Amino acid sequence: MPASKFLRDALAVTANELRQFSRNRTAIVISLFVLPFFFTVSLGGAQGGAGAHFSPTATVPMAFVDNDLSTASARLWQMLASSGDFSALVQGYREENAIALLGTGKIYAAIVVPQGFEASLHNNQTAKILLYTDDGEPGLGDQISSTLSGDVENFDPNVEVQPVRTAGIAGVQIIQKGVVFSGFSVGLTIVLAVVQIFAAFYEIAGGIAKEREEGTYARMILSPVALGSIMLGKTLYDLILSAVRTFIVLGLAVYAFGARPNTDLGTLLFLSLMLALLTMGFGFLVAALKLGTRAVVIIEFFLILFLFAFSGFIIDKELLRGISRTISTLLPWAYGIDALKRTILIGQPLLSLGTDLSALVAGLLLFYAAAYILFNLLRERLAT
Amino acid sequence: MPDNSIVTKKLTKKFGQFTAVDNLNMDVRGGELFGLLGPNGAGKTTTVRMLCTLIEPTFGTALVAGYDIREQAAEVRRQIGVVSDGVSLYKDLTVEENMKLFSTLYGIPRSKAEERFKELTDMFGFGDKFKRLVSALSTGWQKKTLICAALLHEPTVLFLDEVTSGLDPQSARALQDFTRKLCNEGVTVIWTTHYMAEPEKICDRVGVVFAGRLIQVGTPHELKQSVNELFALEVETPGLSLAQVEKIRSMEDICNVTYKDPVLRVTCTREEGLIEEVTRKLLDSGARIKSINTKEPTLEEAFISLTGGEEEIDRFLELGSQKK
Repeated sequence: MPASKFLRDALAVTANELRQFSRNRTAIVISLFVLPFFFTVSLGGAQGGAGAHFSPTATVPMAFVDNDLSTASARLWQMLASSGDFSALVQGYREENAIALLGTGKIYAAIVVPQGFEASLHNNQTAKILLYTDDGEPGLGDQISSTLSGDVENFDPNVEVQPVRTAGIAGVQIIQKGVVFSGFSVGLTIVLAVVQIFAAFYEIAGGIAKEREEGTYARMILSPVALGSIMLGKTLYDLILSAVRTFIVLGLAVYAFGARPNTDLGTLLFLSLMLALLTMGFGFLVAALKLGTRAVVIIEFFLILFLFAFSGFIIDKELLRGISRTISTLLPWAYGIDALKRTILIGQPLLSLGTDLSALVAGLLLFYAAAYILFNLLRERLAT
Repeated sequence: MPDNSIVTKKLTKKFGQFTAVDNLNMDVRGGELFGLLGPNGAGKTTTVRMLCTLIEPTFGTALVAGYDIREQAAEVRRQIGVVSDGVSLYKDLTVEENMKLFSTLYGIPRSKAEERFKELTDMFGFGDKFKRLVSALSTGWQKKTLICAALLHEPTVLFLDEVTSGLDPQSARALQDFTRKLCNEGVTVIWTTHYMAEPEKICDRVGVVFAGRLIQVGTPHELKQSVNELFALEVETPGLSLAQVEKIRSMEDICNVTYKDPVLRVTCTREEGLIEEVTRKLLDSGARIKSINTKEPTLEEAFISLTGGEEEIDRFLELGSQKK
C-alpha cells in the first residue's frame, strides 16, 4: 500500500473520531472536564491548596536541626512551628541523633538547616534545607516535603535577612534524596499521569470495544484500509485529546494550586503525551482481546490501582522494596512517571533521562507491536 | 468479470467441534441474483462472512470476482459490498459524513464521489435525510444508508444478508426491485434469507442450506420440480379446530400442514388416495368442505421436504438454541 494512502486513511480515521467526539457531549464532559478537573481539584484540595486549611503533617513528630544558628534559621523555625503544618516539630536535636531516630517511630522526619544557610541567602545563592524522612512510612516523605515546600515558599525573610535581593525566599531549596519539590508540583505529576492513563486507556480500548459491539469495526475492516492506518488514526485522535487535557491539568495546577514545574512546557507536554501513548498501546492490546466495554472499565480500575501501588504514583519507585520493586522495574509506566517527576520536580533535562525514555519507548513499541499482531491473529474473533 | 462470480471449493468452517459450513461447493454466475435459503443457524451468514473475508475458512477456499478469499483478501474487499446485521455505519455521523469517510477509504476521488453520492441518494430518494445523523433515521432508512455505503465503490458482488428483516413490506418490496435492477446492470447479488417466500419471488437461483450443507441448487421452479414426490392440496374448510388440524397432520407421509382459516394446505409425499383420505378425515371430524384443489408445492414446502420434514428442522433449531 502506498504511504500516501496509508497516511490519508489514518487522517480520515482521525477526522472521523474527532467528529464523533464533538457530537458526544458525555465524552466531552468526561474526557475534557470531569477527569482533569476532578483529579486536580481533589488532590489540590487534599494538599491544602483549596478550601479550609487542613494539614495531614500537623501531628507527625519531626525534628528540626539548626546547624546554622542564625537569624534566618531562627525565623524559619518560627514560621514552620506556627504554620499549623508542623505542630509536632521539636527543636534541639543534633543531626546524627535525629537521623538515628528515623525508623524508630519516635520521629518520622528531620528538617536540617545546614551551616551557611543565612550566608547563602546574603550572597544571593541557593540556600538548602535537608529533609530526611522515614522510608518505612509509604507516602509520608512526599507528603512532608510537599507541605514543607508550600510553607517555605510563603516564608519571607526579607525583613530579617538582608541583603537578600530576591523577593521572598525563592532561593531556598528543600533537598530530599536529591529531589527538589515546590508547592503542588508533586500533585501535578500524579494528576497528569492519572488523567492521561485513565482517559487514554478508555478512549482506545473502550472506543474499539464500542465499535465492535455496534458493528462499525466490521464495516471498517471490510473496506480496503490497513490495520496500521486505523491504529495510527485513532492514536492521532487521542494524542490531540491528551494534549488538551495536559493544558487543562497544567493550567489548573499552576493557577489554582500554585504548582511550579521546574521544566519547560515542551518537555512536560512531551512526557505527558508519551505516557498517554504508552497507555494507548496497552489500550490497543486489551482491545485486541475482544472484550466488551464493561470489561474494559473493570480492567481500567485494576490498572489504575495496580499502577498506584507499583508505578511511583505515591511511593517513588526507588523506595519500593522486594517484589514491589521488581514489578515496578517491569512496568513501563513507572519510568514515565519517574521521568515526569524528575523534570517537573527537579528540572532534570529531557536528554539526561535516557533510561526512563528508553524504557518508555520500549514499552510503547512492545504494546503497539503486540496489539498489531493480536489484531491480525484474532481478526476473525474481532469481526464477529 | 469471470463467468462465475463466486466459486467455492469445499468451503468449510468449524467452530471447535461444531461444523457451521460443511464442504460447500457452489458457483454463482456474474450478474445473478442468488439466494441462500435456510433456517437460522443453517450456515448462511457464516458462508457470507467467509466470502467477505471477515472470517477464514477452516478448509477449502473460494474465488470472489476472480480473487481468492485466502490469498487475495484485500482485492476481494475492493470488489464486494456487504450489508449484514453485524456491519453498521457510524450512528453519530450524518449519512453524508459516512459516505465521505468510506469514499476516502476506498480511494474514490472527491469529484467522482460527489457524483456517486448524488446518484445513490437520488436512487433511494434520500432528499434532506442525506444531511441527517444516521441515529436519527428509521430502521428502514438506516438499512438504505447501509446499502448506499455498500454500493459506493461500485462493487461487482453485493452480499445482502437477511436484509429485509426489520423492514416494512413496502420497503422490503422496493429493496427487492432495486436489487433486481442492480443485477440487470451486471452486479452479482447473494441474498441470504430464512423467509422462504423471498427467493421464490426474486432470485434467479437458490441454494438450500441446512445444517451447514448445501442440499440443492436450482431456480425456484427447478427446486420445486426436483421434489418429485411432493404433492400439495388446498382445502377450503372454514372453522377448523386445532384437534381437526392435528388429525390431518397425523396422517401417514404428510410433510407439512398449515391452516389459515378457511384454507387448509396439506403437502404429502404420495398422491395416491390423498384427496380421499383428507376428505374422509375432515368429514368424519364434522368439518364442512367447500372446495378441494391440487396445487404445485411452494418453495417453502420444497425446502421442508428437502431438509427432511418439519420434525428434522425443529430438531435442528432446538440443537442450535442449545448451542447458543
